[in-house]
Amino acid sequence: MARTEVVAMILAGGQGSRLGVLTKTVAKPAVPFGSRYRIIDFPLSNCVNSGIEIVGVLTQYQPLALNTYVGNGHPWDLDRNNAGAYILPPFQSNSGSDWYKGTANAIYQNMSFIDDNDPEYVVILSGDHIYKMDYAAMLKAHIEKGADATIAVYEVPWEEAPRFGILNTKEEDVIEEFEEKPAKPKSNLASMGVYIFTWSVLRQALIEDEADPNSNNDFGKNIVPNLLAQGKKLCAYRFAGYWKDVGTISSLWETNMDILDKPEEINLVDRSWKIFSRNPVKPSHFIGAGAKVKNSALTDGCRIFGDVEHSVLSESVIVEKGAIVKDCVLMPGVVVKEGARIERCVIDQGTVIGKNVQAGSFVDGEGPYTNHKICSEGICVFERGLTIKDGAVIPANSMIDSDLEVPEDCKIIESKFRA
Amino acid sequence: MFNNAMGLILADNKKISLGELSNPRALSAMPFGGRYRIIDFMLSNMVNSGVKNVGLLTYNKYKSLMDHTGTGGAWSLDRKNDGLHILPPYVNSEATNISSDEELTGVIDFLRQSRTPYVIVAGANVILNTTFDSFIKSHEESGADISVMYNRDGTKYGNPSYILDIDEDGFVRDMLFNPAKATSQKCSLGILVLRKDLLIDILARQMAHGQSHFGIHSIVKMFDEFKVHGFEYSGVVLRINNVQSYFNASMSLLTDSVRNDLFWSGKPIYTKVKDEAPTLYFDNAEMSDSIVSDGCRIYGKVESSVIFRSVTIAKNTTIKNCVIMQDVHISENCHLENVILDKNAFVRPGVRLVGHPDYPIVIGKGAGI
Repeated sequence: MARTEVVAMILAGGQGSRLGVLTKTVAKPAVPFGSRYRIIDFPLSNCVNSGIEIVGVLTQYQPLALNTYVGNGHPWDLDRNNAGAYILPPFQSNSGSDWYKGTANAIYQNMSFIDDNDPEYVVILSGDHIYKMDYAAMLKAHIEKGADATIAVYEVPWEEAPRFGILNTKEEDVIEEFEEKPAKPKSNLASMGVYIFTWSVLRQALIEDEADPNSNNDFGKNIVPNLLAQGKKLCAYRFAGYWKDVGTISSLWETNMDILDKPEEINLVDRSWKIFSRNPVKPSHFIGAGAKVKNSALTDGCRIFGDVEHSVLSESVIVEKGAIVKDCVLMPGVVVKEGARIERCVIDQGTVIGKNVQAGSFVDGEGPYTNHKICSEGICVFERGLTIKDGAVIPANSMIDSDLEVPEDCKIIESKFRA
Repeated sequence: MFNNAMGLILADNKKISLGELSNPRALSAMPFGGRYRIIDFMLSNMVNSGVKNVGLLTYNKYKSLMDHTGTGGAWSLDRKNDGLHILPPYVNSEATNISSDEELTGVIDFLRQSRTPYVIVAGANVILNTTFDSFIKSHEESGADISVMYNRDGTKYGNPSYILDIDEDGFVRDMLFNPAKATSQKCSLGILVLRKDLLIDILARQMAHGQSHFGIHSIVKMFDEFKVHGFEYSGVVLRINNVQSYFNASMSLLTDSVRNDLFWSGKPIYTKVKDEAPTLYFDNAEMSDSIVSDGCRIYGKVESSVIFRSVTIAKNTTIKNCVIMQDVHISENCHLENVILDKNAFVRPGVRLVGHPDYPIVIGKGAGI
């Protein structure tokens, strides 16, 4: 195949503000997930496993960590001679410069990148879902049905349907109508944010959308309804595997726990569909005498001397003797000092939990860091690079944010390094 | 960091056999420490020292080694200039067996093509984490022709061992091979630094005298003719001479001081990346004093063991003092103690295998029990 059939574009520029402090300095797709991964590993690996070799990664919000992580695409075999992973930030041109105004505008601004590769089809992906999906099978359906656009859909429980973008279909899953978060849904087919477009059709739609000053330049709100209005053939493609949105602290926590509770669903050990990631170059993990590790996921570089139960630990986490870690998500390099007890805590990279700290869902009450907007179900979330004072007590639903002004006697952050 | 040296690693050692474990592979391709091969340590030492041109000298059984190294990407040795070079014996199309002369011809050609003045030569049977900066500096300051690294291992070293007798100025005046009674505790690590041109001269001369293959200690033995300086290394060294020392070296990784020196001294040990899933510990897993790698599924009890990647240990099974290599499956109700299981071995339910710590049981690659 000398000619490129498909180009994939991953929309990785969003902030993901509902993840609170986790996305203070990194974009959501770069947030660590599932012990060994970053969120963007899933769409990137899906592309490679589906045979897509040209992948544009559109970045905008706090791109440094994401750019460094994706790099030249080598961990995903995306360092090809005439293909590979391309980081596509907003840029200046002689007609001025613009931030990406919306998902559709981000693709519009990179039309020349796609044109240069001259594909037949374009796959549009988002960087905030955990799933394994064969885009090649979806493309096959797109071609067979002669569709102008195909949108992957997931059957959600009816009561949850009002939270999603819902597609109403007629026979053969041809889409009639798109409704964003309908109060009274007519269908339970939720858009997964995975689109395949015939490039010539999308190209035209992007140009028209850009010309409309009232447009939000968004795929769901503008492009899809416009194409429907023009009578284009849009088809739904039903996906039945594991698919989770990790846009909130509780869904991120819950999806991490799924690795422990339902390992067969996401099935990370499937060698025919590996999820690739950038390797930290650390030795195998070590579990000391007297440690307890149950129902947990661990990876390279961890050193465990305390109790770890029902938790997901990323590389190089240290749990000292006498510390208790339960129902937690600990990101790379987190240290839990001796005697600390943490439950339902999501702790970002490199944060050190001081000796005898009590934090998480088992601590009643409210404190200056309590944040019901971001945190729920008793989950606490910690910013990266903090050192939490010995003996600090942190109640359920707290978000530990170094920028929050708190009274002197309530201070629990001893220091902060740039992590 | 320096960039005035190239590296040459002798990837196999015909004097050392690990029995069934070294049947399928060169010594340096022996899996070690959960996610490594022995070669990873020396390759990383060289790369961490700034060496950008490394030759791997192999005899036979180099498939496993080549699978592992590939083009050297994991060590950042996939370079346009220099990089990793595998030097298999040069086989003349008409020759039915490998001529030993050709082995040295290949090395000499490789050395000639390099632009660096020094070459670091190392064997396959020592595991350590270091950089060679101070070694080269000491070599330059001593005015020696050849420098050899050694350490004091007490009397723990196994055979083959080369014991150095070193005078007060630090120069080698004698070397004993497998002495019945050790006259010194200074045991060679088989790591040399010398000028590349000198090495080419020595090898050409050895070839002319019909010497069969590259021997590190045949160079050290030239202390009468050249000034050979000793350089003492004081960090952790693990020597792999036989199955027993392999087992002991693996078990010593469970000691904090050994693990910290080899893995946490700020100089990363690189290895081929496998992209396995994280390891999952289930409800009844009981873990103690063990090294575990990615991709494992642990349902049973593991004590004082080294577990490689993608190993399954089923429920009601106890593993104690074992080395379990990649992709091994151990079924329910087993009891394994002092056992080394090579890659892909399969242990059926209810098996009981108990070796002695001084004589571990070895289960070969892909064996079913």
